[in-house]
Amino acid sequence: MNRHIVVLSLLVLGGVMTTTAFIMAFFFTPPVLGPAVTNEAGRILGYQPLFSQKIFYFHVPVALASFLVFFFTAYYGVRFLMTKEKQYDTRARIATEVTLLFVILTMATGILWTRFEWGRWWVWEPRLTTYFIMTLLVIAYFVLRNSIEDEERRATYAAVFGIIAFIDAPISFAITRIIPSSVHPVVLRSGGGLTGSQLAAFLIGLFGMLMIGYALYQTRVREELAHDRLEAVKAALEG
Amino acid sequence: MASEARGLGVRQFKAILRKDIVMELRTKEMITSMGIYALLTMVIYQVALSQSGTAFDPRNIAAGLLWLAFVFTSMLGLNRSLVHEKDQGCLEALLLSPVDRPVIFFSKAVGNLVFLLIVQVLTIPVFAFLFLQEGSYAGEWWMIPLALLAGSVGISGVGTLLATMSVNTKGKDFVLAVLFVPLMYPLLLAAVSATSAAVLGGDGSVQQFWTGMGMMAGFDAIMLLASFALYEFIVGA
Repeated sequence: MNRHIVVLSLLVLGGVMTTTAFIMAFFFTPPVLGPAVTNEAGRILGYQPLFSQKIFYFHVPVALASFLVFFFTAYYGVRFLMTKEKQYDTRARIATEVTLLFVILTMATGILWTRFEWGRWWVWEPRLTTYFIMTLLVIAYFVLRNSIEDEERRATYAAVFGIIAFIDAPISFAITRIIPSSVHPVVLRSGGGLTGSQLAAFLIGLFGMLMIGYALYQTRVREELAHDRLEAVKAALEG
Repeated sequence: MASEARGLGVRQFKAILRKDIVMELRTKEMITSMGIYALLTMVIYQVALSQSGTAFDPRNIAAGLLWLAFVFTSMLGLNRSLVHEKDQGCLEALLLSPVDRPVIFFSKAVGNLVFLLIVQVLTIPVFAFLFLQEGSYAGEWWMIPLALLAGSVGISGVGTLLATMSVNTKGKDFVLAVLFVPLMYPLLLAAVSATSAAVLGGDGSVQQFWTGMGMMAGFDAIMLLASFALYEFIVGA
């Protein structure tokens, strides 16, 4: 019971923190400066502030959190294969559910940013491509699950695919970065380092997002384990 | 003792591989279906490129088109190779016999690799004949075979694992495609890059080729190791 209260307060705290980061991003952090504004003689008058960069305080935390949660899909997959205990399969599945939510949020914010930064809705840029592939992998995980009836086989296959998909995602990121793509030039802004208040907003957003992820995961696990217990009790009563 | 066990493993490996090849030689089912499928893909390419105009040079996208054909034919072949095992109860018999699981994985993967390579060797001249008559080939002669081999090793290794899963699902070939394409994405990207560098040549193409080869080698090493380690769980479930 106590644990449940902790989880719920983490959920609330995470919500407050991500909202705080959002507000801080608009009111307290200095804008990141973009391309130089020059006069006719070519003298630099100043730098254009990049307001689209504000999405960074939401986008990067959710992207990092999605990858961290995906790690638990693989971790519980390994645990399941080692022990064959059903609860690890449930945990892996729920971790993947949370991953799906976060990956979709990452994609959505990433696409918005691309639109305003590069003037296009979609660019085959390494990070976007990787997340696109990750979305497909997570969807494939659920397609695989739904296509198998036998419970133990479903759990085993899902565990194996979860592990292999988690290995594949960073490889995908590395290869998309290294292989030159002739269709669209890779535009990567070199990070100029964050100032104090920018870093603060970013970290608050990041920890808030991790708390939300953890709390969502724990709440769903609790629900599912209770459901499993109920089914077991029902089966025992009928038998 | 250890060498005896290894000798046994090699003999089992050869036996399973020979079974696949003998079956293929008798029925000629895999090569025919994969080959015709590749040929049909060429027809689709003609349709796709039919409005691209005379200035368009198919050489620029030749590597991509080739790998596209190989992706689809390999999915077809992988599915078939495991469907046979399952429908005829062969996989169960294999599992009952005292054969190590890794040996099953390697023999099936090598069998799939052989069929894929044969189809590639048959497809490339046809493709070149149909689309690349005016073009010239810029790279060294060994570049394309090397890139094909590196790509095919990854495709058949990981593909064998995925196909073993997908034949036991309701969706079968659909599930295979859903699992296969996103997992193979990095490998295909590197493969197309290396093959394209070999076909087109030009400044920095040698470096691009070796970068692609390095990426493919890395993917193959990591993913094959993972597939090899995880196959035991799949085939037993």
